[in-house]
Amino acid sequence: MSNSKLYKGSLNTIILKLLNEHDKMYGYEITQKVKALTQGELNITEGALYPALHKLEAEGLLDVEVAKVDNRLRKYYKLTESGTKETVNKLEELAEYIKTMQTLMNPKLA
Amino acid sequence: MKLSKEEIKFIDNYLIKSEVKFWDVRLELLDHIVSSVEDKIENEGVSFNEALLETHRGFGNQFIEFGVPNKDFFGKGLYQSNIGFKKFIRKKQKEIGRKHRKNYRKTFLSFLTSSRFIVEFILLDITIYSIYQFNPKTAFVIVIIACVIPELSKIGFGAFEKANRKSLNMQMATATGSLFMSLNYFFIAGFGNYYEDVTPKPYFIAIIFYVVLFPFLRHSLNCYRTSLNENKKDYKLLTS
Repeated sequence: MSNSKLYKGSLNTIILKLLNEHDKMYGYEITQKVKALTQGELNITEGALYPALHKLEAEGLLDVEVAKVDNRLRKYYKLTESGTKETVNKLEELAEYIKTMQTLMNPKLA
Repeated sequence: MKLSKEEIKFIDNYLIKSEVKFWDVRLELLDHIVSSVEDKIENEGVSFNEALLETHRGFGNQFIEFGVPNKDFFGKGLYQSNIGFKKFIRKKQKEIGRKHRKNYRKTFLSFLTSSRFIVEFILLDITIYSIYQFNPKTAFVIVIIACVIPELSKIGFGAFEKANRKSLNMQMATATGSLFMSLNYFFIAGFGNYYEDVTPKPYFIAIIFYVVLFPFLRHSLNCYRTSLNENKKDYKLLTS
């Protein structure tokens, strides 16, 4: 992941936000979606994505659905009810964080 | 460009050789690697081998692993550089464990109040109480057996299920009740040692302990069966 330390803390929020906008997504699709949305600026590595997905699943924020696609099984992730609620909280938290950082970095804009 | 059945099989074998032995871990890795390889071949114009190698590195696999003897390095080649997969499995194992424990806690109360369990528990208590009036030692043995049965049943249910073999999810589901099972063994050992010279032994203490422990062990079996049924569905899909 580029600028990994800055982005790492927001990985869960990024995943939750994407799943909030799509009904269900699989691991590789998430990495490609992030890459496309950020025009290649942010590249989520497999080593960072899956532990985050599994953690969110263990916390009950994500649900898993398995389907057969092109001679193999695919695991789709989707938000649970509590996951949808948590997404709202996480996004508010992130917006607040960005606002605070703007205040610190550029007091004139705030 | 879609990979052929043979190429997908090749990647699956590569994962097995990279020591990803659990089928429920492999299915997620396989889909990711196949999707990535297909994408790289189509959009970057690289060969199958180059695409696979690049994806292999993406998981944090390194080519030099300290402590690997030279003979293993030359023998295993690419497959010995599986440190990324090992980390993947370790982290997944931790999270599956958390998921099972959370599910155990979440469903415990509803299990305790289920009519099936209440009937089962009352029948056990009446049996133990009745036997205790005539022979406390027999009541003690029966209550221990009642506590061991859920753990033995797990082995029984899982033994003939292919979905249970080499499944990380089922390995962790089996381990969920291990804490209570350990308590069971520790208590037997402790009780025997502490009251070694006491005759007759105060069996009612042990009986109360096991009657309290029973719901925890019984619920562990319930959670195990739920996990096994979910796993069976995925395995059926995999082998269909």
